[in-house]
Order: sequence, then C-alpha cells, then structure tokens
Amino acid sequence: MRLMRRLGFGALALGLAAPFVGGPSRTQQRGLDLDSIARAIDEGSDHVSARQLAEWIRDRRPGLRVIDVRSPAEFHDDAIPTAENLPIDQLARSRFAPDQTIVLYSQEGAHAGQAWVMLRALGVTHAVFVPGGLADWREEVMSPLLPANGSPAERAQIAELSHYFGGSPRIGGEQEGEVAGAAQTARGLRRRGC
Amino acid sequence: MNDLLIAGGIGMAFGCALECAGLGDPPKLAGQFYLRDFTVLKVMLSAMLTAMLGVFWGGRLGMLDPSTFYVPETYLLPQLVGGLVFGLGFVLSGLCPGTSCVALASGRIEGAATMLGLFAGVLLVGLAFPAIESFYRSTPHGPLTLQHLTGLPYGVVVALVTVVAVSMLAWIAKREAAR
Repeated sequence: MRLMRRLGFGALALGLAAPFVGGPSRTQQRGLDLDSIARAIDEGSDHVSARQLAEWIRDRRPGLRVIDVRSPAEFHDDAIPTAENLPIDQLARSRFAPDQTIVLYSQEGAHAGQAWVMLRALGVTHAVFVPGGLADWREEVMSPLLPANGSPAERAQIAELSHYFGGSPRIGGEQEGEVAGAAQTARGLRRRGC
Repeated sequence: MNDLLIAGGIGMAFGCALECAGLGDPPKLAGQFYLRDFTVLKVMLSAMLTAMLGVFWGGRLGMLDPSTFYVPETYLLPQLVGGLVFGLGFVLSGLCPGTSCVALASGRIEGAATMLGLFAGVLLVGLAFPAIESFYRSTPHGPLTLQHLTGLPYGVVVALVTVVAVSMLAWIAKREAAR
C-alpha cells in the first residue's frame, strides 16, 4: 500500500510538472529548411523515376510507402500497385515513421512535388516524388519503349519489369508508325490533372 | 526480423502483466461492468498513466520523438457502433481480444471460445466489407487527440489526465479499503 501511494505521488508530481517544461519533444521540427530543400533538388535526391519505383516495389524494398495524393475517385480509377490514397489535404494530419521511404505521386507530378515540399515543412526528410507521376508510370513501366540501339540485356530487363506489372513493352524504331501512335497515346494520357 | 522479435517480447510481457493482474479471469472482467470489481479500471488507468508520462517525458528528454507515433484516425459513427458491439461482446464473454489470448494461454476454455468468436467476427466483417465500406469510412475526423480537441497545450492535458486518473485510483483504493 505504501509503494502504491509512492507511485501515485510520483505520477502526480510528473504530471503536474508537465505544463512547466514546454513542448513534449525537442527534436520535433517544423518549418521550411530552405538550404536542405535546395540541396536535395540540386542533387536530385528529391525524386525517383517511375522505373526505379517499379524496381523498389518488385524487390519489396523494406519500409517503402507509396502514396497517391490524388482524389479517391482518381485513385480508384487507376493507381500504382501497393499505393495508398492520401489526398493532399490529408497529408498534414498524417504520421510518417522515420524508417519509411515515402514515395509521392500524382497524375503528372506537380501536385506530388508540392506534397513533397509540404512534407519537408512537416520535418519529413525521407520522402521523394515521381516527377512525371502516373503518366510516367504508364510510359516507363506499363508500356515502355524498348530502345532499338540498346543491348539485349537492357531490353530484357525493361521488358521483364514491365511484364511483372502486367505491362506490354513497345519495340523502339521497329515500326515507326506504331511508335508515333504510342507517343500520341501517351500524350493523350497526360491530358488531365497534375 | 529484429522488430518482430522485439514485438514478440513486448507481447509476451504484456500477456504476463495481464495474467498477473488477474485479467485472464472472465468473472473478474465482467465484474467491472457491474461495478463489483475495479481491477480492469485500475489496470487501464495505471497503464495509461505510465504510457502517457513515459511518452511525454521520454520526448522531453530526447529519448524518443512523439511526433512520429501513429495515432489511429477517428471515424466517429462507425467507431461508436464498433465500440458498442465490442462492449457487448466484452460483457457477454468476460474477455476482450488481449485477455482472451491470456485466458487461453492459462488454460481457460472461455479464452478459446472468445478467440473463435473473434476470428469469426473478423471473417464476417472481411466478407461483408464491400457492403459496409461506405459506413466504415463515414464521419472521418482524422487523428483526434485531447490536445487538438481542447486546444490546450500538451503539458496541461498531461497534468489534467494525471489528476483525474490519480484521483480515480485513490477513490478506488479508499473504496476497497472500506470493504
């Protein structure tokens, strides 16, 4: 009983002292660190290509968290496998574990880039975005152009990655009309949103 | 793998603590609902106090960063309904998910029955999910905390919760001593 009473007084003392010691965390960081943002952009460590992201997903990179910042309707329409939908207005209220690699994407990359800056302002430094967004995913992963002058190993690698996600690679330079048509299709895919 | 081992260790310690507190015993748990036995409340209040003060002071002393902790999102209406279903199951079986594992581990058949019901419920909800998904995601409020709800500084919330919890524990101790 005496021990319980002591524990109770100990808890009470710690609790009552709490309002007088400031914030709960010294490490909590909010606000834009412009130097580190400029450095990340300069080094290119702010983004990742759609193909690289595909390799990370295929290789089950530990701690990978792919976030689609578009609206739920667009997300349900088409999304990158393993992605979760977190519209841009919900980002600030979300939590990100420090051991995660956050990959942001949107329709064409602009919103993902803005979301990346938002996360930096929230102190999340382990995030990157896909510059061309879902449109790049479609072009580089789902229907990639196999380079006509590339080595067989390189072509096989691209084709294998595309097949993994159910895509169908295009042969570069083989049928010009087809390639032009595909390019037009790709342009058509980049028609909306950011 | 290391994380899994740590999680397993913490889980075992949690189970042992529950068993030591007597929470593997269904009549003891059901007694809380009839205000006959306050063990559940005592365990919950002391666990909340320890965790809250540990997180606050651990963060203040730079041992951990509370801003990286996951706070589950609030979906008011579905969680109210879920809470009612959970409470009904709790008072009927005298066990909750954690304590049913403890009861089973200590050889009580009620633990097995509750766990069976638990898995059946999970399966049913999983099968019915397409039909209930819109309700499941209704009335979203994001990750709500007392701090955000009241607009009070974190330290003040910690102090208020401590005062309330310690007062309740003192009242329970007095009530038990009087018996």
